[in-house]
Amino acid sequence: MSDRAPDDEIARLLAAFRDESGRGASSRAEFERLKGRWLGRDKGLVPELFGKLKSLPPGERAGFGVRANAAKTEVEEGIVRLGRALEASEAASRDRAAAVDVTLPGRGVRTGGLHPITIVRRRIEDIFLRMGYSIADGPEVENDFHNFEALNFPPDHPARDSQDTLLVDREAASPLLLRTHTSPVQIREMRKHGAPLRLIVPGRVYRKDEVDATHSPVFHQVEGLVVDQGISMADLKGTVAAFLEELFGKGTRTRFIPTFFPFVEPGVDVSMSCIFCGGSGCGKCKGSGWIEIMGAGMVHPRVLQGVAIDPEEYTGFAFGLGLDRVALLKYGFPDLRLLFEGDVRFLGQFAGVA
Amino acid sequence: MKFSLSWLADFVDVEACGGAAGVRDLLDRAGIPIESAETRGSDTILEAEITPNRPDAMAHRGLAREVAAMAGRPMRDVESRYADPQASGDTTEHLTSVVIQVPNLCRRFGARLVRDVSGRPASDLVRARLAAIGAKSISAAVDATNYALWDTGQPLHAFDFDKLSGALLFVRKARRGEKLVTLDGIERTLDPSDLVVADADRVVSLAGVMGGLDTAVGSQTRNVLLEAAWWDPATIRRTARRLGMHTDASHRFERGADIDAIPGALNLAARLIVESAGGSVAPGLLDAHGNLFRVRRTSLTLSRLRLLSGDDRIDLDFAEEALRRLAFTTERRAKRLSVAIPLFRGDVRREDDLVEEVLRVWGYDRLPSRLPPASGAGEVREPLRRVEDALTDRAAAAGLFETVNYPFVDRAADESPWAGWLRETGAAAEPLPIVNPLDASRRHLRATLLPGLLDAVARNLRHGAPNVALFEVGRAFGEAGEPDRPESYESRRLAFALAGDLRSHWNVPDKLRGADFFDAKGLVETLVREWVPPAELVWKPVRVAAFTEGAAATAETRAGTLVAIAGLLSGAERERRGLSTPVFAGEILVGAIPSQARPFRFAPYSDLPAIVADLSLTQPKSLSWDVLSSFVRGVGLANLEAVSCHDRYEGPGVPPDAVKTTLRLTFRSPERTLEQDEVNREVRRLAEALSSRPGVAVTGA
Repeated sequence: MSDRAPDDEIARLLAAFRDESGRGASSRAEFERLKGRWLGRDKGLVPELFGKLKSLPPGERAGFGVRANAAKTEVEEGIVRLGRALEASEAASRDRAAAVDVTLPGRGVRTGGLHPITIVRRRIEDIFLRMGYSIADGPEVENDFHNFEALNFPPDHPARDSQDTLLVDREAASPLLLRTHTSPVQIREMRKHGAPLRLIVPGRVYRKDEVDATHSPVFHQVEGLVVDQGISMADLKGTVAAFLEELFGKGTRTRFIPTFFPFVEPGVDVSMSCIFCGGSGCGKCKGSGWIEIMGAGMVHPRVLQGVAIDPEEYTGFAFGLGLDRVALLKYGFPDLRLLFEGDVRFLGQFAGVA
Repeated sequence: MKFSLSWLADFVDVEACGGAAGVRDLLDRAGIPIESAETRGSDTILEAEITPNRPDAMAHRGLAREVAAMAGRPMRDVESRYADPQASGDTTEHLTSVVIQVPNLCRRFGARLVRDVSGRPASDLVRARLAAIGAKSISAAVDATNYALWDTGQPLHAFDFDKLSGALLFVRKARRGEKLVTLDGIERTLDPSDLVVADADRVVSLAGVMGGLDTAVGSQTRNVLLEAAWWDPATIRRTARRLGMHTDASHRFERGADIDAIPGALNLAARLIVESAGGSVAPGLLDAHGNLFRVRRTSLTLSRLRLLSGDDRIDLDFAEEALRRLAFTTERRAKRLSVAIPLFRGDVRREDDLVEEVLRVWGYDRLPSRLPPASGAGEVREPLRRVEDALTDRAAAAGLFETVNYPFVDRAADESPWAGWLRETGAAAEPLPIVNPLDASRRHLRATLLPGLLDAVARNLRHGAPNVALFEVGRAFGEAGEPDRPESYESRRLAFALAGDLRSHWNVPDKLRGADFFDAKGLVETLVREWVPPAELVWKPVRVAAFTEGAAATAETRAGTLVAIAGLLSGAERERRGLSTPVFAGEILVGAIPSQARPFRFAPYSDLPAIVADLSLTQPKSLSWDVLSSFVRGVGLANLEAVSCHDRYEGPGVPPDAVKTTLRLTFRSPERTLEQDEVNREVRRLAEALSSRPGVAVTGA
């Protein structure tokens, strides 16, 4: 060794490092070995180089020292580079291990859903809330007074026939029953708040109807009531038209024909242009182009008097419609009974429906 | 109700009204929708739906009046049809008379005698028209009464005059226990609330409902006494309902017949009998009066007409014309009409009723359409409904499907397993029964939503659903209510049920997939958290037969208000319901949730690091987490922020009555960074404290 020029030794050493580091380190262990061999505190090749400084003639020492320092810097930088490369390759291999079959099913949060009646009800509530209506509520077990008498259904009157009533067996001054419509809440709210008033009442109602594809002893209604000064049939028409267009889509036309409900005068049946054929006539609308959808009318003056609202000062309109029928029309299922079976094959289809 | 177009043509020119299609449209506008129109030979049969307020339209003459009014066509002159027929012999009044003992309930009683009739049937026209509207032909006399009914709306009855005892008829209330075999051959036991026609010996007719069999006309009848009367609607309705009878006559009398139609209907029927079966009509008409009605008058003002219609184009000229077409008589005052209401329009009583009549003719389609101006309080929701809506959203977001179930149950069969829960919720010991249930085996109103919901769970499992998660928001009944406050019987609820593999996924181990008690409890906590945070709920084991003992609990607020129940269905209940899968269910008392949102205060938090330490111990199973965690908090460890249950283990290495619990303790100081050593000291202190409890051994820290 001593016969060789010290400069050549530095050059050779660097060449060997470049060669070795150029091949890279394939593992952490190999990297550590390489790092130890070159930079190890005791026997590392670079520290060894500095050990040779003492054996050099004093005149050569300075030049050798400068070049040895430069070599040390190069080796150190090379080791850092190697280390970074190793980390990158380790990260890549970790990522390879984390790869999955992306076509396997995901583990989502289980989703449930709202009942179609709730979906329809909320849609209707939204429409009326925007028009400044309140949402009221009343009991399902009612009495004859609120359900019939105060709504101008006299006792022993055939108008009661259309609402076959389930009677509750409890002694009471006014006989108890399951409410046959949401209209008794009109009475409760008018008695509570007087006029003016603007509200809707969604709720469950009951009639003694045998179960079939279009009848259920339990069903749902939304009642609407507006009482104020100067309320007219024109206001009722505009409200109903705006509501039905919102609910069933732009272009839905409405038609009023006279009918009889004891608690309104005049009373009307509201039909809308058939949502299936657009009004040209089809099986769903029995060729008429119209589908009956709501009952409505101007609040009967006797009803107003009964709740101490002066019918000369205030007039009002009321309307009601069946949510079950709306759901059936909107979603096109064939049988009302599906609403009450709780079958997830039915309910699951409404997840995400708005 | 069926009507013949050609019959209507007797009263109005139907061709000029546009034939069948035109008449149909006119009646629609009138408020008498035609369900169907069926061509039958040269005639068209219209099936009309007539509301109970319009008995006057339940006959061809009345229906034709509506058509004519809507079309603006005149009614034909039909006076001769109802005029006194040619007559001979003794007068009817001479041969029989009537005593009306109830002048408010029978306001008019008319009779007409036809003598010496043959057994020949009714004329072809009469029989054809009756057949067209679906009525059977029986004999000239019976057919004549039916024809007159469908022509004028006035029900008639035909007696075999010779079978009546004596010349005097009585209109009176029945006597208790009096009997009558009616035309249908059924013996009826009468009640003092029933109205009858009686002769000297017995009741001969159940007034307004059905005649008696003994005095009915038959093939041998020679002398026919035709009777037509006006009966009190409510009385007829009560009798018909009590006896379960519903006839063409009772249908009309209940709704109010036309007291003025009596003579014309009798004349028409008498003439028809003689025309086909011969004989002669006795002159004169027996026409006895009770308390007759006075013609009512009401005013119609222009201002009310325009206020209710919202249409300023309508004027009194139009109103007058419209009302006249509908047979009202009017007198013009300055800004109003004085209107006399025909007696057959008992439904028209007040000004607003007249407005409706005018608007029907005007046409609802012509009325303007606008939105009422904004006013009123507005946008207020009933408070509990907000809670229900929020609960519904949370339950759906938690993976449950909303259902609606019928509330009809049998207390003994369906709810006795839930008796423990009903007691907890204060449902009355006595269920709330329905007087007239649809299904006698389900005659009570539910006191809990759970049985109905579990029926739905069972149906889904039977269909092979691998998991079921359902809920219902609804009302239970049977609180100990006050009869005069119907709302006091109700309790608003949310019920839920979970079954099967709720965590079904290929990389979730099988044993972790199924629903368990903590799904049910966690659901309750999640649902009510907005109002009652989990830490405010106290869970207590509860005994309810439908639930497994030791796997069911009620949740109360710290203040002691019962909020919910949750548990695992018992083996017996599953057996009874044919459920092969464990089912977890529960019910939340919506009304018990304080519907006011909790007052909110921001709580400051520390950015200083926490030190987390775990401590494992074996403990008797009888030591509840509630007691254990309170104990830990009660030791007073410095800087302890939270204690949670990190792990539970039962099985090999742990004695059978014991369980290994790993506590996770979080330490943090709001002022400084903690040292590990000081935390270790606190954990050791806890370990010592725990070890002093019977059966507890700390196994690692």
